[in-house]
Amino acid sequence: MQPLATVYFLTVRSLREAVRNPAQEVGNIFVPLFFFAVTVGSIGSIAADAFGIDNFTGFQVPVAILSAASSISASAGLGTITDIQRGYFDKLLLTPAPRSAIVLGRIAADGVRAVIITGVIVVVGLIFRTGFDTGVFGVIVLLAGSFFFGTAYSGFNAAVALRTGSPQAAAAGGLLLFPLIFLSTAFAPKEVFADWLQVLATINPITYILEAQRSLIIEGWNALDLLRGAAAIVGFGIASFTLTFLALRWRTS
Amino acid sequence: MRLAKTRHNISKFAERTQCPTLDSVSAIWARGLVKHFDEVRAVDGIDLDIAPGTIFGFLGQNGSGKTTTIRMLTTLLRPTAGSARVDGLDILDDARAVRRRIGVALQEAGLDDIQTGRELLTLQARLFGMGGNARRQRVDELLAVVDLEDAADRAIGTYSGGMKRRLDLAAALVHRPGIIFLDEPTTGLDPVSREAIWRYVNRLSVEDGITVFLTTQYLEEADRLAHDLAIIDEGRIIARGSPAEMKASIGTDVVTVEVPVADGLGRAAEVAAGVAGVERVQIADGAAVVYVPDGARAVARIVLALDDAGIEVGDVGISRPSLDDVFLEATGHHLRVEEPAAAEGGAA
Repeated sequence: MQPLATVYFLTVRSLREAVRNPAQEVGNIFVPLFFFAVTVGSIGSIAADAFGIDNFTGFQVPVAILSAASSISASAGLGTITDIQRGYFDKLLLTPAPRSAIVLGRIAADGVRAVIITGVIVVVGLIFRTGFDTGVFGVIVLLAGSFFFGTAYSGFNAAVALRTGSPQAAAAGGLLLFPLIFLSTAFAPKEVFADWLQVLATINPITYILEAQRSLIIEGWNALDLLRGAAAIVGFGIASFTLTFLALRWRTS
Repeated sequence: MRLAKTRHNISKFAERTQCPTLDSVSAIWARGLVKHFDEVRAVDGIDLDIAPGTIFGFLGQNGSGKTTTIRMLTTLLRPTAGSARVDGLDILDDARAVRRRIGVALQEAGLDDIQTGRELLTLQARLFGMGGNARRQRVDELLAVVDLEDAADRAIGTYSGGMKRRLDLAAALVHRPGIIFLDEPTTGLDPVSREAIWRYVNRLSVEDGITVFLTTQYLEEADRLAHDLAIIDEGRIIARGSPAEMKASIGTDVVTVEVPVADGLGRAAEVAAGVAGVERVQIADGAAVVYVPDGARAVARIVLALDDAGIEVGDVGISRPSLDDVFLEATGHHLRVEEPAAAEGGAA
């Protein structure tokens, strides 16, 4: 069995699971959009004077995207645990399919779900007149970035699920992103932060992912921002996949 | 008849594995298989030689090491020590090739409730590299074999326990394995569903020549299905042979004498042991179990001796040796069967 074919079949299976459990997907999109609306509603009118940001709605779209990706990967971690508890994960391990590909199937499905949810958030943003400075090609780059961020971040939850087999731990793993979001430039530019928070925001990879996404939406093409964002996602991916494969090795030894 | 069938299966197996020496062929072979979980020795040095095409029963109560053994042989767990070969392949060095040749239905039917039965079998077939028409035909064929055609397009979450077990069995067979591992396939099922599973398992061996490694905690299941049997207790194999050989090894009838007064049991055993012809006596579950040739004649002597000794006697039974007697003799206690909270089933 070819690894890519295994990943494809198991991605389809995970997506089918998502389609048959629509309530979960509604929750994944509702919560980020709720915070998006509340944040824009409460700070949006003063953002230009306070932070020098004219298009605060566009400024907030990437935050909603990352929050949604986080929710998705938390539910995927729970899906892995359900498979483990039902014995279906063992059933998959008993096939000749490469074991890493079995885990990657669900992770890749999270990437696809992140793309779909990003598309929904972009449409909502356009309805609220965020605009999209880099046009259609910029949307494609944003969606591609969401796919890679979704898979990279999902790896953390897969690692927690494989290592602990605990639904509570998997749910908690999904919350990892929230402190990183609050310690980034999610709600205001770095320049208005206290010194200590500026340092944390500067070393926080989420800052660079947000800035890359914002550049596509409200600034236009900026190669340096895009490269930094890509590097941050790759760093996330290397860390999360390393943890995932270590956890898989532990579970199957 | 059974010997001829076994020889035929060995020939087919040797042909497939291109093995020149028939006598050395085992479908499953293990030496000194050990598995520790921290301080617990779950499996403590198991040797196996299972002939191709046979049904091998692995009998033991919960926690005896059956499932751990099966998980090692199917490459889900790495042994702490020892070695094993399945279909001629080393379980550590050739793990993926082993998985290609075996089918496995574990104790909990490992299914995905959200998929339909057909989708699950189709995915399973795809993961074994089956494509196109061959895959579709095999899935349809298996759904018919396990009587799930009508439910094939329903979510598995709506299936009864018996239907799930049958689907799990079909999933284990989808790639036509030569060896199949079934871990307590009927635990928790009602008698009708249990009967259906037994019928399928028997068919696998008789019609398809598949080697079946079956763990069970049910004596009747082991007695009825297994050509060859091993009893495992506390991680060690303590008896081995065909069910008939094992029962014959007892060599006597079994007279069970219940003693209503608990503190009289030890004395009853002493008195019974002194009766002419009695070979040995064991105490188990509030009764004295007396092994004696020609039990029908001996029972009167035993009851009279107990009465003379002033010991009150309750129910008395005579039986030919059963696998439970074999288990009792080997372990000193009866096989304790632990059922799930409620037996599931529904053959429909």
